[in-house]
Amino acid sequence: MTINRREFIKANAVAAAAAVAGVSIPANATNLITSSDVTKLKWDKAPCRFCGTGCSVNVGVMDGKVVATHGDIKSPVNKGLNCIKGYFLSKIMYGKDRLTTPLLRMKNGKFDKEGDFTPITWDAAFDIMAEKTKQTLKEKGPTGIGMFGSGQWTVFEGYAASKLMKAGFRSNNIDPNARHCMASAVGGFMRTFGIDEPMGCYDDIEATDAMVLWGSNMAEMHPILWTRITDRRLSAPHVKVAVLSTFAHRSSDLADNSMIFTPQTDLAILNFIAHYIIKTNRVNKDFVNKHTNFRLGNTDIGYGLRPEHHLEKKAKNNGKTAGGSSPINFEQYAEFVSTYTAEYTSKLSGVPVDNLNALAELYADPKTKVCSFWTMGFNQHTRGVWANNLVYNIHLLTGKISTPGNSPFSLTGQPSACGTAREVGTFSHRLPADMVVNNKKHRDLSEKLWKIPTGTIPPKPGYHAVLQNRKLKDGELNFYWSMCNNNMQAAANLNEEAYPGYRNPKNFVVVSDPYPTVTAQAADLILPTAMWVEKEGVYGNAERRTQAWYQMVEAPEGAKSDLWQLVEFSKRFRIEEVWPKELLDKNPTYKGKSMYEVLYKNGQVNKFSINQVPTDRLNDEARHFGFYIQKGLFEEYASFGRGKAHDLADYDRYHEERGLRWPVVDGKETLRRFKEGSDPYVEAGRDFQFYGKKDGKAIIFALPYEPPAESPDAEFDMWLSTGRVLEHWHSGSMTQRVPELYKAVPDALVYMHPDDAKNRGMRRGDLVKIVSRRGEVQTRIETRGRNKPPKGLVYMPWFDASRLVNKVTLDATDPLSKQTDFKKCAVKVVKV
Amino acid sequence: MTENILHIDKNSTNKQQPCEYHVASFVAHAIKKNITQVTEEITCTEGAEIHAVSEEGKIVFTLEASSQKKIGFLIDQLKHHVGLLSLSPIYHQFLTEE
Repeated sequence: MTINRREFIKANAVAAAAAVAGVSIPANATNLITSSDVTKLKWDKAPCRFCGTGCSVNVGVMDGKVVATHGDIKSPVNKGLNCIKGYFLSKIMYGKDRLTTPLLRMKNGKFDKEGDFTPITWDAAFDIMAEKTKQTLKEKGPTGIGMFGSGQWTVFEGYAASKLMKAGFRSNNIDPNARHCMASAVGGFMRTFGIDEPMGCYDDIEATDAMVLWGSNMAEMHPILWTRITDRRLSAPHVKVAVLSTFAHRSSDLADNSMIFTPQTDLAILNFIAHYIIKTNRVNKDFVNKHTNFRLGNTDIGYGLRPEHHLEKKAKNNGKTAGGSSPINFEQYAEFVSTYTAEYTSKLSGVPVDNLNALAELYADPKTKVCSFWTMGFNQHTRGVWANNLVYNIHLLTGKISTPGNSPFSLTGQPSACGTAREVGTFSHRLPADMVVNNKKHRDLSEKLWKIPTGTIPPKPGYHAVLQNRKLKDGELNFYWSMCNNNMQAAANLNEEAYPGYRNPKNFVVVSDPYPTVTAQAADLILPTAMWVEKEGVYGNAERRTQAWYQMVEAPEGAKSDLWQLVEFSKRFRIEEVWPKELLDKNPTYKGKSMYEVLYKNGQVNKFSINQVPTDRLNDEARHFGFYIQKGLFEEYASFGRGKAHDLADYDRYHEERGLRWPVVDGKETLRRFKEGSDPYVEAGRDFQFYGKKDGKAIIFALPYEPPAESPDAEFDMWLSTGRVLEHWHSGSMTQRVPELYKAVPDALVYMHPDDAKNRGMRRGDLVKIVSRRGEVQTRIETRGRNKPPKGLVYMPWFDASRLVNKVTLDATDPLSKQTDFKKCAVKVVKV
Repeated sequence: MTENILHIDKNSTNKQQPCEYHVASFVAHAIKKNITQVTEEITCTEGAEIHAVSEEGKIVFTLEASSQKKIGFLIDQLKHHVGLLSLSPIYHQFLTEE
């Protein structure tokens, strides 16, 4: 009997893999599947908790136990595949050190900044939070309050948080960790197209002839999409793959053209390609004339450092003029990029001329359909918005955009960086549906939809992520709540610019997390948090796909979801305590009400009865508040984008689908935007219409190569690039707690060229210090393995809480996107 | 129900459970010229069985072991093999056999 059961489940496993691979297997292995008591598995779907790919995972429960997991075969994203992180996904909730009670730093029974973490009740936690918030409002006003959120928040959590801060506390000092990840991509989209997020989708992989990776190691960071790329490359022999990076990595293995360039010179390579297209007379003139404008961008824009830094004092356009530009024509643009000859670019970048020409030919050849993919190499860049603008230039010059197989595609790092951070608008300058706080019309519309008085939302953008740390350090941001992220590990230059702010006696810092992360341990109050399928959720992935899941298990007793925490905390304030009298006089009916009643029990969010929650489903938040809060928040949020090219379907539909790509119009999702026949927002006869811009035309920007903020010199003689590894996701707070993943890659090593090690008298495995002008970190040397840096560059991942590489990185940011450049600074490596 | 899951998971995470039977299936992509080496490497792995190899270089195989940890260990051994472009876990299930 046992053998039969074994054979049965093995046959299931084989059948699933064969179906995914699209290969046939001998019949006797599949015909075992019969009705039997071992088929009584209860399956449920959820998007993966990790990266921005948005894979769907099935979790099988039998007799109350999770006994099976597999990639969701019905998912158009992963088509049944899993990556190694997704495979161990169910274990992220069961780390041994899971938090189950609020912890406050106390001495002698009272809060003390220097005290030890002591268990307290939720009531006591909200008491001290409310006390500190009210004190800050009194002393500093709304700008003394801030929140750091996440692209891992569910859509409702981000929306509830944004509303709490911008409408409730009237502070725009809310920013997501997506600032570290996607802000340059957002800046690029808004500047070139006037509307955020990719026009294409993953389906373009199977339709293309060439794929170019720009500063993205998809083999490790987006393994499922990489499997689709590998499949395309191997099954269609004419398909070419080009990989550009500052060091060789796993993605280079598949490359027909692998190019290692000197950090920052990607800007020059992008301009070279534009020049090559023009020089070889392959501009798609019809497309360019009808659908594009040319502009010359302002230059010398600084590096987003503190204003007193010598580089900022020197920069001409580092203030409001940084994003400025003026119109030019095609001839002027052609003249501008003509500097970037193959020889000049090769000398600057270190990439051989033949490789550059082969790369440019992929874009220039009108018969080759081409996809570009990028992530942090472009985005974490002091000219990140420029890099995004420049890659769109080459797709626009050739008209290779918005059609099957032609797609400039910005990949995402977090599961809902698009859905929550960008679409909901949890950035310090944003409102839902691409609206911004400094636009009066946008504020008016938001205030109307939120049923709050005109003038509630402050017009000035709040503190972005890097500025939040600086303002904490300077004692200007005094009540700070961090949720669903690990910024003490993630932020650059943490010794000088992050830790001092958390420990500044003027500040009260709250961190909500399932685990005692580095950030939690730097806080004053830690709130234990429910995660993933312990709550109902919606995420939005990189291809505009919105996906929902139900709560499947109870959180450990004492842990509460971010949504519960945000909404429950709002009950602690009467609206008079957060709004000035003149504002309240505009809507006297709100007098005497709690912030909870004004923001969440407002007739809209509480519109859907608890009876709409399926009776066989868990939903702790809905049952606590007494209405279907997730649906109410989603529908109120969706009202911002419907009819404005950001249409979402009705909430309930997402529970039935494996996601839908917005805009969803007349019940249909949109695969490719801006192309007539594919996008319902394009007017008949326009062919293409970039409707984010008033004239429907995208912008081709003339922007030069400019050097990075810091380069190696005689003392600090190496480049340092930081990044991730396959097995761990971001700071490792979840994956480091999965024993199998921890064991696979326990420590962050520094990858170095064997000659560089030899010249320093070092060997593989030696303990070394990486030293910069800002700090140092100890680790061991790896001269072999998956990453192979060129001479003069070292690479170290940042997932390891015991070896914080961000002690040495530089907090230089893109002045336009405010995103930090984690990919380049100058260090030396010395023996310990 | 939750307590059960927590209990089971913690056990499977922290201790060996010899009375469990685990099976997991995978799809691997290999560079064509390396297919022979990659399939040999898989075949030599304890508890592994190859079920299909396609012309394009896709390999469908299973791993059987007494714990998920063991399966994790075996994947680790395989995943850095030269010529292996990608390795995707597809399905995992276990039986508790008394």
